[in-house]
Amino acid sequence: MGIAQRRGALALAGLVVVLMAGCATETPAPVVTAPAISPDALVGKWGLAAYHKDADRPRTIKEALAQCNKPYVIKPGPNGGLMMYLADNAQIQELVLKPGANGVTYLGPPGNAGTTDDRQVLNVDPSSFTTIWVDPDNAARYGTMVYERCGKRA
Amino acid sequence: MTVRASLFLRVTLAGAIAAAAFVLPGVFATAQQIDMNVVDQPGYVPSPDEEQLSGAYEKQEVFFRTSEAPGTIIIDTSQRFLYLVQPNNRALRYGIGVGRQGFQWSGLQKISRKQDWPDWRPPPEMIERQPYLPRFMAGGPGNPMGARALYLGQTIYRIHGTNQPQTIGHAVSSGCFRLVNEDVADLYDHVPVGTKVIIKQAVAL
Repeated sequence: MGIAQRRGALALAGLVVVLMAGCATETPAPVVTAPAISPDALVGKWGLAAYHKDADRPRTIKEALAQCNKPYVIKPGPNGGLMMYLADNAQIQELVLKPGANGVTYLGPPGNAGTTDDRQVLNVDPSSFTTIWVDPDNAARYGTMVYERCGKRA
Repeated sequence: MTVRASLFLRVTLAGAIAAAAFVLPGVFATAQQIDMNVVDQPGYVPSPDEEQLSGAYEKQEVFFRTSEAPGTIIIDTSQRFLYLVQPNNRALRYGIGVGRQGFQWSGLQKISRKQDWPDWRPPPEMIERQPYLPRFMAGGPGNPMGARALYLGQTIYRIHGTNQPQTIGHAVSSGCFRLVNEDVADLYDHVPVGTKVIIKQAVAL
């Protein structure tokens, strides 16, 4: 076998290996999508209020704005996250926005999306955002939480 | 320790005290004087069993001698009872939770307003302690203010329901008087705005 033939055989073998490896890797590569929400959108001072019945949402929004004298302050974290609180925990910590299935965005400690420590972000606009806890007990106790921006966005 | 774990310990301690009081009546008076250091549980919905009071704190008609007119509310802070005066030396007696040490008071007020399923706004010191809490929670089951509220004059105090029935009979609040939801709804239906309310507080020795 000449050098050219040997090179050709090696190339063919390499191609077979690549193809076999491709067959062995049946799980599609994870699709990494950036969260649809930028952490910057949540930084600021917020009036925080909660409701359990949808009929209470409009007045809860007004009440959230009325609570800006006791704002819930969200600052940027050192690692690009957001300094916030988990349910029933007065220790502030860095939380991150996490993309979940079907375009759902979660807000919680770094790691998997949709864990019981997470909040699901239901909607965001420049002046407000709404969340509900993933943990059913927390969701039942705290209901839907509305954050209304206090003053203009910095 | 999380707040919930802490709460569990405190409630367990209170339960142990209550059990001891049941077995050893002699310690009852002492147990009653112990403040129940319990935090609010916004959103917690108690089960019907939890809301069912028994013994002295269950609503009941009792013999009650007073010169006050029927329809008057008399609150006995030290005994943790609220009386609604009835004719013929009788009264409806309800078990209540009262202000913890330093938050008890006495006076003469009138019901200035009635509200079903009142909203809840945690006081600033509570927000400082529990900064994760919403600053406003719309009224409904699970709301710490319970099913009804009766506002006392122009004060910040109210007679209201609770989502923590285990706190009835204890000194837990910031000066308000709490009843289980069924009882506060019953009281709400019995008394109009303008009802005279006498708050009595025995001097602690």
